[in-house]
Amino acid sequence: MKLFAILLLLGSILAAAECAPSSLGEKETLAKFQELDRRAQSAFERGNYAAAAQQYGEAACLVPRSARAFYGLGIAQAAAGRFPAARKALESAYAILPDNVMPLAMLARVEVAMKDINRLKEVLRLAAQRFPNDAELHSGLARFLAESHFLDLALAESLRFEQTGASDTASAVALAVLENGVGAYEDAIRNAQAVVEQSGVPNAVKASAAGVTGLSYESIGDREQAIKNLTLAIDLAPMQENSYLALAYLYEKGQRFKEAVAILERGRKQMPESVHFLLPLGSNLVWAEQYQAAVDVLNELLRKTPDAWEAYVRLAEAYRNTGRPNLETDTLRKLAQAKPDYPMVQILTARAMLTMYPVDYPAVMLTLAAAEKSAPNDADTFYLRGKAYTATGHAQEAVAAFQRAIELRPMDPSPYYQLGLTYRKLGQAELARQTLSRMEHVKQAANAPRAGQD
Amino acid sequence: MKFTQEATACKRSMTRRRLLLLPGICPLMREALAAPTHEPQNLSFPLQAIEGAITPLDLFFVRDHFNEPELSVSAWKLKIDGRVARPAELSLADLLESPTKNLEAVLECAGNTAGGSAVSNAVWEGVPLAYLLRQAGVEPGATMVLLEGADSGRLMQDSPSSPYCRLVPIGKCLQPESLIALKLNDRFLPRRNGFPARALFPGWYAMDSVKWLQRITILRSDDPASGLQASGMNKLYNQIVETAPGNRAVTRLTGILVKSAIAWPPDNWKLPAGGHEIRGFAWTGAGLVNEVQFSSDGGAAWTPAKLELAPKPFRWVRWSCLWRASPGEHVLMSRASDDAGNSQLLKRQVGRKDGYELNFCAPVRCSVQ
Repeated sequence: MKLFAILLLLGSILAAAECAPSSLGEKETLAKFQELDRRAQSAFERGNYAAAAQQYGEAACLVPRSARAFYGLGIAQAAAGRFPAARKALESAYAILPDNVMPLAMLARVEVAMKDINRLKEVLRLAAQRFPNDAELHSGLARFLAESHFLDLALAESLRFEQTGASDTASAVALAVLENGVGAYEDAIRNAQAVVEQSGVPNAVKASAAGVTGLSYESIGDREQAIKNLTLAIDLAPMQENSYLALAYLYEKGQRFKEAVAILERGRKQMPESVHFLLPLGSNLVWAEQYQAAVDVLNELLRKTPDAWEAYVRLAEAYRNTGRPNLETDTLRKLAQAKPDYPMVQILTARAMLTMYPVDYPAVMLTLAAAEKSAPNDADTFYLRGKAYTATGHAQEAVAAFQRAIELRPMDPSPYYQLGLTYRKLGQAELARQTLSRMEHVKQAANAPRAGQD
Repeated sequence: MKFTQEATACKRSMTRRRLLLLPGICPLMREALAAPTHEPQNLSFPLQAIEGAITPLDLFFVRDHFNEPELSVSAWKLKIDGRVARPAELSLADLLESPTKNLEAVLECAGNTAGGSAVSNAVWEGVPLAYLLRQAGVEPGATMVLLEGADSGRLMQDSPSSPYCRLVPIGKCLQPESLIALKLNDRFLPRRNGFPARALFPGWYAMDSVKWLQRITILRSDDPASGLQASGMNKLYNQIVETAPGNRAVTRLTGILVKSAIAWPPDNWKLPAGGHEIRGFAWTGAGLVNEVQFSSDGGAAWTPAKLELAPKPFRWVRWSCLWRASPGEHVLMSRASDDAGNSQLLKRQVGRKDGYELNFCAPVRCSVQ
C-alpha cells in the first residue's frame, strides 16, 4: 500500500507538472473550467475521445485539485486506448478524492486492459480496504473480472460481495459458478440450491442455479443428484442448450449412450437450428450402435460446419461399423486434406484403405509415408506397413517393418503375431516359433496384475 | 492402510470440449478418477503413468493424518498471530488478491519407500510466505513458525485431540520459494491436497507443507508450542540414529535427500529380450541432480542415464536409459547424485531406527525371455 501511496502522489505531481501556468482570476478560471468540462463531455458523447481527453486535460491543469477533471481525463484516455495516461489520471483522481469509489473502480478496468495483474491486485486490495461494505462496487468488479476471464479475482470480488451481507440472486449464481470452477463444490451447491428454492426468482436464473448444482453434485460423485438437477434445469428453461449438453455428457460418461441420445434429441427438437447438439448426438448415436442415424446427423453437421474435425472421425467409425470401407476412407481423406495435422489421420486413413476391396497398396504406402513424416516414431505406421508388405509378397521388407513396430511398442502383441506369420512364410520356422512364443509372453505380461510400488 | 490405485487418463478431443461450455465441465472430467471421501487417505499412483515431467492432478500422491476437513471458501480464514506487530485474519479473497508466484517443485512424503511413488512434481502457485510475514510485521527475535491445519484428531490414544501442526524455522519460511499454495498445475488445490490453501516448502519433505492451513503463529525460541508437544506431533518425523548401543541421536527431518526411482518397468515385470527404454525420475532437496546411473545387475555395474531436461532447483528430472535386455532374471537399479556431493546409497544407512528418508537404491526385479 505504501508503494501505491507514493505512486498516487507522484501521479498527481506529474499531472500538475505538465501544465502551463495560468494567469486567470478565480471567476474566470471557474467559467473556463465549466466550459472545458462541457466541451469534454460533448466530445466524449460524440465518441471523440482524444478531443475529450484534451479538454479534460486542460480542465485538470486549470483546477489541479479537481477530481472530476482527472476522472473525466482518465475515462477519456481509457476510451481512446491510452491506458498509461488513463492510469495516471485516475490515480490523481483517487488521490484527490479517496472516499469516492469511482476512480478505483475505473482504475481496475484500466489495469485489466493493461493486463498488469500485480497493479490490478493492488487496486483491488485498496478497494477492499477502503470500501469493504460497498456491495455494488464488489459485485460490479466481480462481473467485470469474470467477463474479462480473470476468474480467480472474480471469485475474490464475489466473496467480498457476499461478505457485505447484500443478497442478489444473479450474484449468488455467479458465485456458485465460480465456486464450482475452483472445486468448492459444497459451497456451490449451498449457494445455488438456495437460489433454486427461492420464490420469485425468474426460471432462467433458477435453471442456471440448478445447472451449477448438478455439475457440483457430479464433482462430488453423486451422479443421480447431478442428473436430477440438470433435468430440472432443462424443465425450467428448455431453451438453454448448455443444460442438455451437460446432461448428455453425464450420460455419456456413464456409458448410458441411449439416454444421452434421447436428451440431445429433446434439445434438438427445442432448438432445431443449433449446431451444438450435432456432434455429441452423432457421437452418442455411434456409441449406441445406431449407425445410420449417426451418419445422417454427422453429415448434416459437416454440411453446416465443415471444420468440425472430430465429426469426420466419428462418421468414418459409423461407416466402418456398417461395412462401408470406401466411404470410411473417403471421409478420412477429406479430413486429412482439410486438416493434415489432425492426430493420426494418415494412420486412420491407411487402416481404412487396407479394408477396401481391392486394396490400392501403392496408395496405402504413400499414405503411410505421410504418416511417418508427421510422426516418425508411431508404431502403428510400421505395423500397417508390414501388413501391406506381407500382402504384396515383400516378406523381407515386412519383417523389417514389424521389427521396427516391436521396437517402438514392445508390449503390443500384434506385431509379434504378424512377424511370426511372416517368418513362417519365409520358411524360418525357428524364428517364427520364437516370435510367437514372445507374443504369448507379452500377452501374459500385459495381463499380469501390476505390483504396487509403495 | 497402503494401496496403489491405478488410474487411466480421461482423454477427449478438444473439439468436443469446446462444445461443452458450461463452467465446471472440465473439472468434472478430471475429478472422476478418485471417489470423494472425508476419511484420511493414503494414495499413490504408479510413476509409469506420468507422461512428461509434471504429475497430473489426479495422480498426485496423498497422505492424510486425520479426516479431510470440508472447508467453505466463504468462511475460511487464515489467522496470522503470535510475535507480529499486525495480527491478521486473511480471507481467501485477500490471498487471491495478493502477489503470487509460480514454481515447479517436487513434494515427497518423508516415509516414501525406496523406489516408491509417494512423490509428485507439479507447478504450484501461491502467495510467498515471506510477503505475508512482512505484512504482519514479524517481531525481532522470532525464530519459529507454527503452522496449523484444519484437520484434527488424536495421534496416540492418550494424547488430546489436536489440529495437525508443524513447527518450521522462520529462516525457511522467509525463503523466496516458500509459499502459501493455492493452486496445483494451474487449478485450485483439490480438497485432498489441501484446499483452499496449504503451506509449501520446496526442497523439504512434505510433512511441513501443512494442508488445509488455518493458522500461522510466529514464535520466539522461548515461546511454548504447547499444542505441538501435548499432541505428540513434535515426536513425528524425526531422524533417529543409534550412535551406540542404547544411545540414540534424534534430529528433525528437513531437506529431501537425493533419490531416484524407476518408473518403467515396474517391479516383477516380464519383458521380451531386446532393446528397452528404462525411464524414471530423480530429485534432491539440495542443489541440482547432476547424474543418474542405471544398473541391470543389482548395482555391480553402472551406466550413465540421460537426463531429459536440464535440472533446476526443487523440481525432479526425468531420466531414461536404453537397456539391451538379454534373457534371464535381472535386478534393475538407479542411482542419483546431486551437485552438493550427495549420492544415493546402495543400502539403508546403518543405525537408522526411524522409517523416513528411505533414499537407498531400490531393486526392480525383471524377468526377460
